[in-house]
Amino acid sequence: MSKRASYGLLLGASLLAGFVGVWKLQEKVDAERTALRLEADELTLRSPGVMKKLSLEYAPLMGAIYWTRAVQYYGQKHHLGDQNLELLWPLLDISSTLDPNLIVAYRFGATFLSDAPPRGAGEPEKAVELLERGIKANPEFWRFYQDLGDVYYFDEKNYLKASQAFEEGSRNPAALPWMKTMAAKIAAEGGSLETSYALWLDVYQTSTNKDMRKNAEDHLRLVQAEMDIREINKTADAYEKGTKHRASRISELVQAGLLSGQPRDPDGFAYVLNDHGVAELNPKSPLREEWLRENKKLMK
Amino acid sequence: MRNIQTVAANTFREAVRDRVLYNLVFFALLMMGAAILVGQISIGIEEDVIVSLGLSAISVIGIFIAMFLGVALVSREMDKRTLYALLAKPVKRWEFLLGKFFGLVMTLTVNTAAMATGLYMALWTVKHPLLKSDAFILAAVYLILLKLALIVALALLFSCFTTPFLAILFTAGIYVAGLFAADLRIIHGVGLDPGTLRLMRAISYLLPNFQNFNVMGAVVHGRGVPAAIIWHATLYAIVYIAIVLTGAAVVFSRRNLK
Repeated sequence: MSKRASYGLLLGASLLAGFVGVWKLQEKVDAERTALRLEADELTLRSPGVMKKLSLEYAPLMGAIYWTRAVQYYGQKHHLGDQNLELLWPLLDISSTLDPNLIVAYRFGATFLSDAPPRGAGEPEKAVELLERGIKANPEFWRFYQDLGDVYYFDEKNYLKASQAFEEGSRNPAALPWMKTMAAKIAAEGGSLETSYALWLDVYQTSTNKDMRKNAEDHLRLVQAEMDIREINKTADAYEKGTKHRASRISELVQAGLLSGQPRDPDGFAYVLNDHGVAELNPKSPLREEWLRENKKLMK
Repeated sequence: MRNIQTVAANTFREAVRDRVLYNLVFFALLMMGAAILVGQISIGIEEDVIVSLGLSAISVIGIFIAMFLGVALVSREMDKRTLYALLAKPVKRWEFLLGKFFGLVMTLTVNTAAMATGLYMALWTVKHPLLKSDAFILAAVYLILLKLALIVALALLFSCFTTPFLAILFTAGIYVAGLFAADLRIIHGVGLDPGTLRLMRAISYLLPNFQNFNVMGAVVHGRGVPAAIIWHATLYAIVYIAIVLTGAAVVFSRRNLK
């Protein structure tokens, strides 16, 4: 091998070793920073008005950038399982001020804000503020009323305001006819599971974004499980009334001919009866954790 | 007229030879390509970000070209002493200025058209076929071009009586102030006396209102731009440019070039 070739080989190998070293070092630094929870969370400028002025004529672009920051912030926190979402509102506040017509920032932002932890920030009142701002800037977009109604219905459990939001939205000439139906249904039935199912089904059917659809699908499975459990408990009550003793297994209800077979949740796991003979999700069911969380919230 | 055409054609030819221009346009196209990636790490703004980043790139790169080349139009000719040879011929000073102005505007038109093509190509990669509403982008591009023409005129005016560095500073200053021109009219309740308020109101109308050419917010969301806005912005640009160039011609005609 000539001197020149061996020199080139040595140089190439050194460079490669150097890059591998840098790579490994960066991995180490990343791990250390994660352990320290050092986040690139700083939001130097929190005033939307100042940001708008500083953006000169490029506010729509800055709005898109801030919205992307909000999505990344939310996604990263979600990924790390960190429930501290204190910068979510300032980021959404700035992006919607920079571009008041950025529909997606209001709709998804409201979902991020209103969903209870660990899904979201658990700040439905901020979600309402964001959506009301969206309505003011984009009065022709009737879907905001639907989102507002959803926040009142699911997160604030304020059925009167939810009904009013759907009713107000239904007055928009472009709104679909079911908005009026939904307003009436909520006013009549309040927080019934059937109404919840209908609301989530609409979100699922009308969303074009896959994350939004997945969220709606998760909720639909949960509401379906709730409706199944309600029916099983009704059956167990009937069994108790007839036999004067509470069933301890679902198979007893099947053997008594009250159920046609072992009922299963939307993920295919068999429902079970607990020590008090009350139906609940199978401990192996992926839905169980969320279901317990929801029930805990209701107990409060 | 013939003299203006000749100077304009030469200015265009000279600008086309400048490699910096190609680098800037390439940079703008790169930004538009990057917009596709930015859209993918966000939610629901794939097309919005391409249009807003694309239009911003066209605007920013255009402003750089308009300011730096606009200021250099006269000063470079003086530094190279080619101006003296040119003015020795039957070319009036105002004809020289107008020729330079139109030459650079022509260059900017070609650059802007290239960047707008890049923007449409980036948009086409994320959605095809393009929609009718995507044609509104052209209105925004046209208004950006008007804004750039106004900046060239201002750069020319300042370069007629001061150093290139100061001319760039003045042009940039007027551009930024012009973006806030309308805000000067709505300053209330800050303890200013009526005289000062009237003065600020007058200044707000005298400054070139660059927000007149900004329709990015509407176009990004696929909303149309009313024809009246385009027409009035065009008229505003023509009148303002005429005033600025007249001022530049007067200053330049009286300037002692010895």
